[in-house]
Amino acid sequence: MLKLVLRKLVQGLLMLLIVSAITFALLASAGGDALSGLRDDPQISERTIEQLRTVYGLDRPLPERYLSWLANAARGDLGESMNFRIPVGTLIWPRFLNTLLMGLIALVLSIGISVFLAVWSVRAQNKWLDRVVEGFIFITASTPRMVLALIALALSLNIVSAGASYVFQLVAGSVVLAVPLISILLAQLLNGLQEVMSEDFIRTARAKGLSEWTVITKHAMRASLSPFLTVAGLSLGGLLGGSVIVESVLGWQGIGALMVSAVRTRDVPVVLGVVLISSMAVWFGNALGELLQFANDARIRTGQQ
Amino acid sequence: MSEILKTPRLKAAVKMGLGTLALMYLVAIFAEFIAPYDYREQTRQEPSAPASEVRFVDSNGTFHVRPFIYRSRLTDAREMAYDEDTTREWPLSFFVDGSSYNLLGIVPTDVHLFGIAANGETAPRLRLLGTDQLGRDRFSRLVIATRFSLLVSPAGTLLACMLGIAFGAISGYAGRFVDAAMMSIADTVIALPTLILILAARAAFPLELPPMTAAILLISIFALTGWAEMARLARGQVVAVRNLEFVTAARALGAREGRILLKHVLPNIAGPLIVQATLILPAFFLAEVALSFLGVGLQEPEPSLGNMLTSASDLTQLSHHPLTLLSPALVIFLFVLATRLLSRGRRSSIAA
Repeated sequence: MLKLVLRKLVQGLLMLLIVSAITFALLASAGGDALSGLRDDPQISERTIEQLRTVYGLDRPLPERYLSWLANAARGDLGESMNFRIPVGTLIWPRFLNTLLMGLIALVLSIGISVFLAVWSVRAQNKWLDRVVEGFIFITASTPRMVLALIALALSLNIVSAGASYVFQLVAGSVVLAVPLISILLAQLLNGLQEVMSEDFIRTARAKGLSEWTVITKHAMRASLSPFLTVAGLSLGGLLGGSVIVESVLGWQGIGALMVSAVRTRDVPVVLGVVLISSMAVWFGNALGELLQFANDARIRTGQQ
Repeated sequence: MSEILKTPRLKAAVKMGLGTLALMYLVAIFAEFIAPYDYREQTRQEPSAPASEVRFVDSNGTFHVRPFIYRSRLTDAREMAYDEDTTREWPLSFFVDGSSYNLLGIVPTDVHLFGIAANGETAPRLRLLGTDQLGRDRFSRLVIATRFSLLVSPAGTLLACMLGIAFGAISGYAGRFVDAAMMSIADTVIALPTLILILAARAAFPLELPPMTAAILLISIFALTGWAEMARLARGQVVAVRNLEFVTAARALGAREGRILLKHVLPNIAGPLIVQATLILPAFFLAEVALSFLGVGLQEPEPSLGNMLTSASDLTQLSHHPLTLLSPALVIFLFVLATRLLSRGRRSSIAA
């Protein structure tokens, strides 16, 4: 257990180092940042820009800049936004919480719905229900979040009064985020359950006289949980990507929307901050998924495949 | 292939998917011919016009075999209200002369598939999906817009697959320490928040890019962020096949490793890899749409499915005519649906 945690920790730190270094180098090599836009303004002299570059440390060589950024980031200081003129941390933190809130609701919603539908469908053994669930997976998998978000926006015109818009944004955003995820999770769980249901230990459990409900929830679910957790962990990156679109369309103040505006204004410290924070969040989710698997699956605990 | 099309239902699914895709590519290739107008042409007298109503019955109740439209005029420039002039019917016709263009990029012509024949007068404009704020014909723009998406996502998929298969095959073949290291790199890349990274990479380049540069940039970004899942799959398949008898036999005959990989291993693992490719394709397609939608992909005045949807996020526009604004969404939905039909048919056939 401790070994796994340590390994994940080292892996995560390495990943953050590499990702931030690559992003840093890319953004620096492009030449051009929020300050280069100032050149077009005749009221700002070349000297002022040079001074500003010194203030932001843009006149120093790249490796030195990266190392000093890294040292500051390790202390929790992500620099100052070039457009908002406030610390990046102050800018990102409340928005990150907003994104996290919406993402967590979406995750709970999609896990709940996919577990419910999968268990119901396996238990009912009804051809028509199977068809409906199959169709549901197909449609939800084919409907992009952007389209759903725009439909939600169109609906909001008719439903929302000004006061309820926060709640509406949150609910609509979570549902839109959840829908494509449901298709992934449901397909995975359904496949797993159907495979497991023909195994010997399920027959044994039935022969012991357990109710079908207990057989599915206690025995079959447990056995198909590991791949489900893997898929759920891996889908977090996609969920965060989805939140970029959903937040931009619905006007939710999260890091996705912040990222878009930072990219458009080429606010390098904010872009770096969002990349760092979101990579950390996704890595944490992944690690959590693996730890849960570790707790659930004795084969992983004892190191067998 | 014949083995893939086993059950009739799957056969139908694959056929439907292929058919839809073929139709879309046909539209993209002959886009200028199908579009009734030049997508850049602005008619400032008709901004944000509603879609022309194509009618069969005129205002007197007489039925016409040939569909027609009425000329409509802007009556209130603030409310964007339009009024129809019902005194004269303008019939639709095939092969109408209009703006000139080069068919397939070579043949200069000015014939369009359909439109309103002018016959020396100024004909009203046929606006199947209305016009945008600058009075550009939205249907023409939509038809042209399919091009960029249909070029960028398959090219990106191809490049990502080649990268991924090469990476995975080398990893699976090398084994041991190299394998473990390469796969942990791939695992890390899979778990990354891809769209955020794509956006970050996009921030390194100027916002405004000419279409070809934007296409090349997006294709390379997609390939660099999307190869990892393919690598993982290819590696697993290579490991599974590597020590099978026919590979050992080829080795015993003195074939070089490179030849074995290309001639014996890869053809035998192609099935699952193709399924994976059909899963990557819609993901890239949606990523391109998202980037253009967020204003960092293809830029105005060039139309793309994404930047056409941007105007749909404008609430006043959306409240006026939601359906015409969301029409690019329908194209997106159809494309994704078609690729899912393909991957579903193929996946099930391999599992069977």
